[in-house]
Amino acid sequence: MKLLTHNLLSSHVPGLRPGGGFPLRIEAAEVRVRPVPFNAAFVSRLVPRLRWDALREAAESLPPEPTPGYEADEEFLRRLHHVLLEVEVLEGSLQCPDSGRRFPISRGVPNLLLSEDEA
Amino acid sequence: PSLSGQPGMAEAEAAGDAWLGPAAAQEGAELAAVIGATVPTGFEQTAAEEVREKLGSASRISKDRGKIYFEVPARSLPQVHRLRSVDNLFVIVQEFKDYQFKENKEDALKDLEDLVKKLPWTDPMKVWELNNSLKKKKTKRKKHNLQSPASRGKLSDGGEEGGADQNNTNDQEDCAQNPVAVEPTGGQDTENPQEVTSRNGVEEEEDNEQSDVKVEVQASSESGTKAGEDQKGEGEVKVLRFRVTCNRAGDKHSFTSNEAARDFGGAVQEHFQWKADMTNFDVEVLLNIHNNEVVVGIALTEESLHRRNITHFGPTTLRSTLAYGMLRLCDPQPTDIIVDPMCGTGAIPIEGAAEWPYCYHIAGDNNPQAVKRAANNISSLLRKNESKDSSTALGVPLDVIQWDICNLPLRTGSVDIVVTDMPFGKRIGSKKKNWDLYPACLMEMGRICTPGTGRAVLLTQDKKCFAKALSRVGHIWRRAQTVWVNVGGLHAAVYLLRRTSEPAQDTRPFW
Repeated sequence: MKLLTHNLLSSHVPGLRPGGGFPLRIEAAEVRVRPVPFNAAFVSRLVPRLRWDALREAAESLPPEPTPGYEADEEFLRRLHHVLLEVEVLEGSLQCPDSGRRFPISRGVPNLLLSEDEA
Repeated sequence: PSLSGQPGMAEAEAAGDAWLGPAAAQEGAELAAVIGATVPTGFEQTAAEEVREKLGSASRISKDRGKIYFEVPARSLPQVHRLRSVDNLFVIVQEFKDYQFKENKEDALKDLEDLVKKLPWTDPMKVWELNNSLKKKKTKRKKHNLQSPASRGKLSDGGEEGGADQNNTNDQEDCAQNPVAVEPTGGQDTENPQEVTSRNGVEEEEDNEQSDVKVEVQASSESGTKAGEDQKGEGEVKVLRFRVTCNRAGDKHSFTSNEAARDFGGAVQEHFQWKADMTNFDVEVLLNIHNNEVVVGIALTEESLHRRNITHFGPTTLRSTLAYGMLRLCDPQPTDIIVDPMCGTGAIPIEGAAEWPYCYHIAGDNNPQAVKRAANNISSLLRKNESKDSSTALGVPLDVIQWDICNLPLRTGSVDIVVTDMPFGKRIGSKKKNWDLYPACLMEMGRICTPGTGRAVLLTQDKKCFAKALSRVGHIWRRAQTVWVNVGGLHAAVYLLRRTSEPAQDTRPFW
């Protein structure tokens, strides 16, 4: 699971308060880094769509906020690219912030299915 | 004479019922290849666009559905093979737009026999040779990537050698392949023009998984047994082996495809002194007859290109060419986030990640086996991408998640495009389930999709159920385009929907 995916995921355990399912807390047991070809325009366009705090929580190497002019800041974009696309959580879990329910990540694939009684 | 660029202008072309192939190459003139390509029915226009975009050539769309024609310099063959919307390729020897068949069977067949020596074989054969040398390079790499045991494929049933007729029961149309002097034992004739069925039996049951995989495997098993491959010396004259495949559709012909293939094949053998061989052939001559349109061609592909991304099949694996067509339909832009929430073995997201690497692709399914297969298919894709210098394969912008389509764990409005193959009542689940499933799917897909700019491309066979479900979500989705397609012999539809500007509610309504 890449961190860009994590930024889009939200817990859907029933009965949460609005927004209470985001962000899922990552508990990583095994992480892999795998290079992905860099494209500045691609990363730059993603910035406005990201939930920045959630991304920072997931990856402490980022600055407190994207600074104006980030589109031209290649160093920043490369760091962001690395965080979003090159770091993969292979084993671990995602924890729903409100309910505490844990969802396992196995071989890079998070299992977000709720059980029959939960749904 | 050059091909006119507009579809449907076939009739407006130069008068006469015969269109000659590219003018015989003069000294120094570049060899041109007139290519025929089979594509998923309904996506002819998409394929023509891809040809225009990648090869710069205009295409003609045949009246015989699922085929397009275009002309390229022969040196562009490698790019032609990399087209993503094309299933099979052939080089055209000659095309007759309005061939007059004699009413009497013997006369009609005699005409076909006589035709052989008049056809301009030279240049197409050069293209075939050029194509062969390209194939040899590819085969070595393919052997490497295959996951399954080599099984004899459709072209070599039961290990028969150069003898029995092939009765391909998957085809709905008439398709006969015949070596000379062997009486056919079967085959069907199509009285009314029908849609071309996918030749390689796309939708197979899970316990026939081997037959799904055979298509990819053909290249390696066949090249191993090909006549005279790699062993002949430079100066030796090799006797080519051939077979003729005839597809015939129309209700006014006095002969069957078996008969046409047999007699045409006989004349081909006379003319070239080739050896007829059903299973280990070098040259596959195609005789396509669709009412009064006759096209003689030589096959350039053995196995269908459409399985290329998938090594782990499931019961309903979608053709890559169809997946490509669906993706093209929604016109992905760089940075678009594209989700397939019922991905099965991952055909669509994998095609997406390969062809649109500047989008981000997410594949999800509730079925653990599907998720596992999708993840395995991605690993196979990564192995193919291994760069020669480093030992780590480059990653791709693609993730797999296990989830419930009716309750997607995705932020509202976070996704640009939803593309998926919706369950057909007959394969997964039953029609009754679709009745409840479809509206719930459309609502969830609407929730996760960006209002205003978001879109969805959905393939389904259950058109009635879909139309009804769509009518209930008119405030979220508008139908923009419908493409009628044929999936494993079933009539299906691909719907392009646009997300309205209405914001989604965060809480799901009750049904």
